[in-house]
Amino acid sequence: MSFTSKNQKERMRFVDKWAEYVKTHSDKDWSRQQNMVINSSLKSASMTREQFFKMKGEKHFQI
Amino acid sequence: MKFIDKETIKIDRELSDLDNFTLDFIKILEKNTDYVIVSGYVAILLGRARASEDVDVIIPKINFSKFQSLYTQLKKNDFYCLNSEEVSTVYDYLKDNLAVRFAKKDTMIPNIEMKWTKSDFDKIALENTIDVVLSKGKIRISHLELQIAFKEEVLKSPKDLEDARHIEKIAESYLDKELINKYREQLREFYK
Repeated sequence: MSFTSKNQKERMRFVDKWAEYVKTHSDKDWSRQQNMVINSSLKSASMTREQFFKMKGEKHFQI
Repeated sequence: MKFIDKETIKIDRELSDLDNFTLDFIKILEKNTDYVIVSGYVAILLGRARASEDVDVIIPKINFSKFQSLYTQLKKNDFYCLNSEEVSTVYDYLKDNLAVRFAKKDTMIPNIEMKWTKSDFDKIALENTIDVVLSKGKIRISHLELQIAFKEEVLKSPKDLEDARHIEKIAESYLDKELINKYREQLREFYK
């Protein structure tokens, strides 16, 4: 099995585990943990408009 | 998370910065037009452990004066369009079936990626919605069956397949499996 497919399988296993956690714990509990991922990711994201559109592969914008 | 009925899910979650941003935008949007949220944020709202820099929103085609009014209200509430400052240019992008993005002033991320209904599946998404009830308001998302089928049959990236799997697991007893298969077949036919 290639590294990529092994990695994807491992990621899918985590998705299943996390989904089970969400189902069996209170909304407040899982969301508090999820928010650490979301909020820190949004805070650390920093790029220019041009860089953002390039990343998205979109060309319809005016400077 | 409570799956109340086919049109309502209640989540007593702590709101993330992405939720608050989306609720702020939706509050203005829904005063002006119908809308539905699709794709990654649907999975995130339902607990998927990942972030996203944008939230995908579909709206029906609206005329220029209606759009101008929406645009003015968004600006008054500190949103701006990343694509252009000219309202007529932004409207032209939408008319050309291109998505336009809105963020809060002086920021890039997160942003709303808004587009008009383009395909029959966008129309299905807009007509078949679920209200997700949160502590600070409601967010209208597309039926989960369509989201799963679209991610598995059309988008197919590892991230999308993981999103679909998360929704399938979370909403296992709530989902109409036959409907997922029906959408899968229709999408396969449409995109072949």
